Amino acid sequence: MTETATPYIALSGIRKGYRIGGEPISIFSGLDLAIPHGDFVAVMGPSGSGKSTLLNMLAGIDRPDGGTLRIGTSRLDQMGEAARSAWRAHNMGIVFQFYNLLPMLTAAENVELPLLLKPLTRKERRIRVDRVLDLVGLAGREKQYPAMMSGGQQQRIGIARAIVSDPGLLLCDEPTGDLDRKSADEVLEMLRFLNRHLEKTIVMVTHDPQAALYARRTLHLDKGDFVEEKRAA
Amino acid sequence: MTFFDLARKNAWRKPLRTVLLMVSIAVAFLIYGLTASFLNGTQGTAGASDDILGVTSAGGRTQPLPMAGMARIAADPDVAAVGYVTRLRGFVDVEKNIVAINAADPDRLLAVNGKGLGLTPALVVAIGHARDRVLVGRALVQAQGWGVGQRVTVTAFDTPREDGGRDWSFEIAGIFEGENAATDTYFMIARYDYVNAARARAKDTVDAFIVQPRAGTAPGELAARLDSLFTNSATPTRTQSERQFLEAFLRQYADVGLIMNLVVGAAFVTLLMIVVNTMVIAVRERTFEIGVLKTLGFSRLGITALILGETLFVFAVGGGLGLALAKLATILAGPELGLVFSAPVFVKGLVIIVTVSLATGALPAFNAVRTPIIKAFRTR
Repeated sequence: MTETATPYIALSGIRKGYRIGGEPISIFSGLDLAIPHGDFVAVMGPSGSGKSTLLNMLAGIDRPDGGTLRIGTSRLDQMGEAARSAWRAHNMGIVFQFYNLLPMLTAAENVELPLLLKPLTRKERRIRVDRVLDLVGLAGREKQYPAMMSGGQQQRIGIARAIVSDPGLLLCDEPTGDLDRKSADEVLEMLRFLNRHLEKTIVMVTHDPQAALYARRTLHLDKGDFVEEKRAA
Repeated sequence: MTFFDLARKNAWRKPLRTVLLMVSIAVAFLIYGLTASFLNGTQGTAGASDDILGVTSAGGRTQPLPMAGMARIAADPDVAAVGYVTRLRGFVDVEKNIVAINAADPDRLLAVNGKGLGLTPALVVAIGHARDRVLVGRALVQAQGWGVGQRVTVTAFDTPREDGGRDWSFEIAGIFEGENAATDTYFMIARYDYVNAARARAKDTVDAFIVQPRAGTAPGELAARLDSLFTNSATPTRTQSERQFLEAFLRQYADVGLIMNLVVGAAFVTLLMIVVNTMVIAVRERTFEIGVLKTLGFSRLGITALILGETLFVFAVGGGLGLALAKLATILAGPELGLVFSAPVFVKGLVIIVTVSLATGALPAFNAVRTPIIKAFRTR
């Protein structure tokens, strides 16, 4: 799976395996992938196909055993843990299936978390938080705690947290997996908006074919390799 | 929100657990504050000077020195003033009610250590009106409920009178306050001439000479020189600073400081184990969330700062409360119990708070930062 234009995300010859019970299990043995800037890619596939491993490597929380992994100008496969932490803080936002908000923090404080890693004043952080909360339609709910919100609202807080530091890349791990259809569609509409109007490059892992329809293209992963690609009409 | 706000909110996730931790820490620091204040006050060294020298017998403090030695000491050009003291110990009314009497020349005592004891010329004049008059320290007066003009009788343990009795009757001529709260004022000052004339034995001897060196004189050098004056005499001397003197004096009964430090140390080690265990559990419960923070870009240093900030917060509140209670207790108890919560005790408490909190947070922080994100996510 390669793109002819200079890709924003480029994986080449990626190898990755684990040991389970002492037995080596190969997940990828030479995976190639190219995603241009501003793309919205859905990655589908059965359990064990390597979707989560791929997402973890793109997020810099796991490293390939071999091959090259470049995002923008950064070679993630060559970075140590500290460098990957710093890279994540400035270049990537992530949306989790189960939101993963901190329960003791308000909506605004959860969104503000990534900004603590940036050299911003309290006022600057507040302005950014208000702006993204407004963007995800949750203005006025700054002081609410996650437990007081619906699943859809919590996921919108999760999206706000992912985009508040204005990263170029948004990684979504089953973002609608815990939502009803209506809330899922709202969340997916928001992701599409972020892709089309704010030019975020989005990689979304999903089991939901309906969710994949919101992406520009869908890649099917099976046994560690891409077996099919569908482009949106 | 700041990093510290985040640490604080983490600490308050389970309020009951946090409150109980804070209470146990507060109790530990209350114990520390009280024992340190007790050592500071009753050991008497807090208000003792490093500059005033005490000359005692090298054979032991109970061995008297002949009064004649004073002239040789006073002849040293670096001695500004010299006094002397003989100590009587006894009780008032009941044997448990022990008091100490320093028999001295009031004028010389004023010259040598008037400032430290809070002696004034008026007090010296007052005690001079009759031979059996005494000046009583503020702490002793408050503890006994005595007043100026009152007569008190002290039954001496080991200083009989010429008439065979052991009761010494004195009239209180005035009260000396001490230079500050740390000064030991739980004793009285009697006139040496009266005690010396009336006692049955050891006449014309003193327990110690007190020396005020001239300004600019190194006390250590002067002490060595004074001792050399008596090296070949019948009564060799040992000269120490007032602080060294008091510390050694107290150590001859028992090393109370060491005993108390061991008690406090044991309490802190126990506390440390409890809090470390609790913090390890608290942080382990949040392994998944720490994985989330790492995914957001929080570095190892950032995670460490969060956990250390959390333990620092718990210790600062608990320890601060304990120190405040200790201070309050010393105020309420008054000086007669000898509790002196001085600035050094407070500063040392703060240092302990910071050190123990960092030590407590180190293990859970280490565990948190070394857990890979992937592994952290598997904990849910």
